[in-house]
Amino acid sequence: MTQLCSDEELDALMQEIQPDDGVGMEPLDRMIASFPQDPRLHFLRGSMLASIGRPIEALAALRMAVDLGPDFAIARFQLGFFYLTSGEPAAALESWGPLALLPHDHYLRSFVAGLTYLIRDEFTEALKHLGAGIAANEENPPLNRDMQVIVDQVSELVARQGDPADADADGGGASATSFLLDQLGAGGGRAN
Amino acid sequence: MTHADAPSGLDLVVRPGLAEAALWRRLRFEAEDGCREELFGLYAGLARALARRHYRRRASRRIDQGDFEQFAFAGLLQAIDRYDPLLGVPFGAYARRRIAGSIADGVSRMTEVDAQLSHRHRIEQERLRSLARRPAEGEGGDPLTEVTELVLGLAYGLILERTSLAAAADGADTRAGAYESLAWRELQSRLGAAVAALPEREAKVVRNHYELGLSFAQIADLLGLSRGRVSQLHRAALERLRKRMGGFK
Repeated sequence: MTQLCSDEELDALMQEIQPDDGVGMEPLDRMIASFPQDPRLHFLRGSMLASIGRPIEALAALRMAVDLGPDFAIARFQLGFFYLTSGEPAAALESWGPLALLPHDHYLRSFVAGLTYLIRDEFTEALKHLGAGIAANEENPPLNRDMQVIVDQVSELVARQGDPADADADGGGASATSFLLDQLGAGGGRAN
Repeated sequence: MTHADAPSGLDLVVRPGLAEAALWRRLRFEAEDGCREELFGLYAGLARALARRHYRRRASRRIDQGDFEQFAFAGLLQAIDRYDPLLGVPFGAYARRRIAGSIADGVSRMTEVDAQLSHRHRIEQERLRSLARRPAEGEGGDPLTEVTELVLGLAYGLILERTSLAAAADGADTRAGAYESLAWRELQSRLGAAVAALPEREAKVVRNHYELGLSFAQIADLLGLSRGRVSQLHRAALERLRKRMGGFK
């Protein structure tokens, strides 16, 4: 049996499970039953679960995607970002570790660097690297939009250092899940 | 950042709903028992608010507000232990029913004698038993010294308690008057710093007992310790605080 579903099958599945069409998870679960080793399907499942407010199962699916496809860079990045937005920075950094093997100017590497500086409250460096990642990323626009939200928040915080009470501290503008679904087709990484 | 109250970089990206889900995941599926206490802390305010509401509507004047809070906290602990985070029901909604039920059950179970022996009285007895030191073998045990130490321990407990009671449910500020407030606040500040420097478990016992008003039995349940061990930690913490503070000045 082939371990991975074909690109055509994946495209057809993506068409079938477009959000708001009421189809739900069933087509995806059927496909996973046929191709349980395909990390893309588990990444997609994690994305869908996150989008419908089932974060515990979403994380398990993202973990499975990364376990099955250690080189699936976008899944690894999103797993780390999920940990980060869950308040687990140590787990985020651990997940992102292997992304250091990407080319120096790869946008995911810049995003990881920027978010790592953000964790350390080193905002100037955070802005620099997040900006570099956004500039370098031409293949994954949804991710750029979400990183831009963080850039805007950090910029606002830096600008308002004298009046930090006005800064939006709840992170409500940063979407941990909105960008997941749109990224499967983007070339942010490969699945093995 | 230069401002102490400014959000951290992590604050900017953490989403409260995901952070809470992470606590449930770690508690239920990764055996991190410490998350139980964090979840309790997240929802202690809800339990307290429900206790206040039920207290205002109480039929019997003999039951004090502390009792209502104890029942509410017991309900919250039960809710934490029984909640299934995969069912998709928000914990707050789930816990609300459990807490209300626990208050109603607790009040209906209370006898007149129980009610007369108020929560306040019981908690004072619990502290006294914890702090009353049995002289070690061969220790002379100067009665005056022992009584002084006991009184100092109880006094520090009262200061800790009054620190949290300043924002009491009824809104009354029970702090000392203005002419005393400078020395009082200085003492509270020093005591707060001393509590922060306590070993982790002792600090947890002090905070849960004096700030949240939990009984030793509830703290034992929350931290997975025996009630006797909580009592020991309480005494050790108060003794350590007394030594660090060097007596009242």
